[in-house]
Amino acid sequence: MWSFVFRRFLVAVPTLLLISVLIFGVIQLQPGGFLENMLDDPRVSRETVETIRKQYGLDQPVWVQYLDWLGGFVRGDLGYSFLNNRPVSGLVGERLGWTVFLALLTILTTWVVAVPLGIYTALRRHGLGATVANLIGYFGLATPDFLVALLLIFAVLSTGGTNVGGLFSPQYIDAPWSWAKFKDMLAHLWIPLIVIGLDGTASIMRQMRANMLDVLTQDYIRTARSKGLAERVVLWKHAVRNAINPLISIAGLSLPNLISSTIIASIVLNLPTIGPFLYDSLLNKDQYVVMALLMMSAILLMIGNLLADLALAWADPRIRYE
Amino acid sequence: MTTRKALWLLSLVTMGALASAQPKVVSGYENGKPGGTLTMALSSAPQTLFYYGAIDSAIQTLANQMFDGLIEYNYKTYQIEPALAASWTITGGSKVYTFKLRKGVKWSDGRDLTADDVVFTYTQIVANPEAKGGDAGNFAGVKIEKVDAGTVRFTLPKPAPAFIHYMRLPIMPKHKLLPFSQEGGKKPGEINNAWPTNVDPAEVVGTGPYRLQSYTAGQKVTLVKNPNYWKRDADGNSLPYLDRLEYLIIPDSQAQVAQFLAGNLGQLNITGTDFPTLKQREVQGAPIRVVAFRALFGSPPHLAFNYDDKNPELAALFRQTEFRRAIQSAINRKRIIDDVYNGLAELPGNGVAPVSEWYYDTTRLLGSYDLAAASAALDKLGLKRGPDGVRLLPSGKPLEFTLTYGSNSSTFSAIATILQNDLKAIGVKANLQGILAANLLSTGRGKDWDAIVLGLGDQPDPELRTPIWKPGGDLYYWHQSTQPATPGGPPQFNNFFPWEKEIYDLWEKAASTTNFTQRKALYDRWQAIFAREAMVIMIAKAYAVGAVSTKYGNYLYSLGVIPGYNPVAIMYQK
Repeated sequence: MWSFVFRRFLVAVPTLLLISVLIFGVIQLQPGGFLENMLDDPRVSRETVETIRKQYGLDQPVWVQYLDWLGGFVRGDLGYSFLNNRPVSGLVGERLGWTVFLALLTILTTWVVAVPLGIYTALRRHGLGATVANLIGYFGLATPDFLVALLLIFAVLSTGGTNVGGLFSPQYIDAPWSWAKFKDMLAHLWIPLIVIGLDGTASIMRQMRANMLDVLTQDYIRTARSKGLAERVVLWKHAVRNAINPLISIAGLSLPNLISSTIIASIVLNLPTIGPFLYDSLLNKDQYVVMALLMMSAILLMIGNLLADLALAWADPRIRYE
Repeated sequence: MTTRKALWLLSLVTMGALASAQPKVVSGYENGKPGGTLTMALSSAPQTLFYYGAIDSAIQTLANQMFDGLIEYNYKTYQIEPALAASWTITGGSKVYTFKLRKGVKWSDGRDLTADDVVFTYTQIVANPEAKGGDAGNFAGVKIEKVDAGTVRFTLPKPAPAFIHYMRLPIMPKHKLLPFSQEGGKKPGEINNAWPTNVDPAEVVGTGPYRLQSYTAGQKVTLVKNPNYWKRDADGNSLPYLDRLEYLIIPDSQAQVAQFLAGNLGQLNITGTDFPTLKQREVQGAPIRVVAFRALFGSPPHLAFNYDDKNPELAALFRQTEFRRAIQSAINRKRIIDDVYNGLAELPGNGVAPVSEWYYDTTRLLGSYDLAAASAALDKLGLKRGPDGVRLLPSGKPLEFTLTYGSNSSTFSAIATILQNDLKAIGVKANLQGILAANLLSTGRGKDWDAIVLGLGDQPDPELRTPIWKPGGDLYYWHQSTQPATPGGPPQFNNFFPWEKEIYDLWEKAASTTNFTQRKALYDRWQAIFAREAMVIMIAKAYAVGAVSTKYGNYLYSLGVIPGYNPVAIMYQK
């Protein structure tokens, strides 16, 4: 297994290099730039912009800038935010905690809800419960997350609620942790969980349902039943275990969602995550913040894929490390 | 020394300090009671906590609460009033400004404000060309010196009547910022690194009504009352009344409205678009008040044509006053005011807000909405209609151009659609091109546009907007061929129209005239020419609309980002 991991790691390096070149290129391609945006203010003169350009090393040729950045990145220096006059790592660090918390919680909830629902709807596919679950699933797939967010906010407002965004009521945001703060968080948390999780839940549920239906018609299930195995064993040991395999690969792909997904929902819901920060940096052309976040996203995708492959090999004895 | 003697001495010293302090008394408002918290919204997270370290509306809003300038605006009349400077004189042919600092003003950490702080702020920060939020251009050649501990003198190279307005820039504490300055041995650019967002809040020391307590990244800024603040109400109670100001960072304007309706925000600036929803709630008895004022500040949209269009035929057309005036007749300002702003706007001034003392009534010159007249005027220009109803240029190509607007602004998109429709009715084909509102000005200053809907801010004195309205100025973007060929050089006079030359001369003269009546006459003339030539076509001037919870008294609308205008200090919780 370790040689497999090592080989994957070796493949990842050139891939990441290629991705970084692409990202850097795309950022350079966009018209204007952070410094050009500064010129919009009449107080800023051309000379000021030129001195700042030198200060940030932006007067260097593009490839020199890239190599400088790469050198820093390899050494763990994520670069400098022009917008905030601060190193990028500190800015990302401030927002990382809530981002990881929300993402992991959402992924967990999604799986805990979606997999059993998928199995249930496959087994009782003509029942009332399954029909309702499917309907909600279709709704979740078809509705953009920010619209769900707006609808929920509207619903909360019209019932006289006050928890319409963010993770805390204003007075708790900078308060130390307490039981009251925790309860306040729970009262806010359900909206982002639904908004961010609904889409994923619906698609995983549909996937699980389809896989189950597929597996349940297989010969080995009939064989298992005809052997006289208990239905519980047939279901959990033979059907579910085979049906869940494709989902493990999907799980690996959901890791970069930590950073780049749900930007719009985060803005609408006013969540303190990296999404709105990335959006701001893109608008302001704060290039090293964008580079850092997109590279983190790419690295997470690689790691997620690797973890998924390892998990798959562990869950499915038919798969061998090649 | 005995204890009694020490106490006696102490009280003498205290009395002495009180006698020499010069608090500013703010009268004409309800006397509130101290205490309470007000929560407001910021549309973006602050990029820095140092006002001059970035051009950023969040820190501009916060700095207004934490710092003061030498002068400020009256809450009601926008007249210039003393702030950190208790008085000043203008001598030496309007070139020497001498400011006497208010006595007894303390920084929030207890240190005294002195002339050194003022000199430091202007020489090391404002006039530093590498300070991102500085203003070196307006302080070129200005000599700034300390006369004594309480007096500062500015000596200008030539008279500048609007110079006094720059004296509202926030004064910074030398004892905290010296290590980031050239005087402290650093490179000029180092000043931008002062007070980053992760700074210890105790370092951010100001003279304003509030001081920084904490910043939770991307979520919230909390300010608390500065006990050393130098303003008093009519009864001599110290201001501000409110103990805390909280700013929630909420980027989305709909989310802001929702938070306000949920009671999580105490006050919110809104637009005419949100007005009906909120006003309806108020009428239904919700504990809120929605108020609209005629606004001095704010950016009224205009329609500009590119006099230097890449297509020479269009450029030739756009340069003709008759063409622009014809287009102006096709602009339904009344409909825009009613439909887009829900009635909360007025006919625009030309470069000056109608509520301003500088305003010259150009209403008649703005013309009226008359599609038939517009059509006739275009006929007269020889632009005959083609078979599909679109007029033809002399070359036989259709009269068609791109109309650029800010697609993420509900106001601008609605205006652009209305313009497009009316232009279509007179045989002019405008193709809409939506871009991010934040990129409008950079697009306008580029070459790649035909017509654009853009807003540029109004200020209390026209002089402050020289780069926009004076031909050849940095932001005179619709006729870029008038701009200097080399940075800092003279405008390209050979490309001026006669009326542009006239405007240029008026502005030159106004910039060195100090008598108000004479300046007003010059700027009146400019506004008349601006309107007559339809230099750019002004569309409407929106009212300022604010919503506030009825819990609060003494509410005055404030844009928040204007240095020297901060009525939050007198708000109180009932």
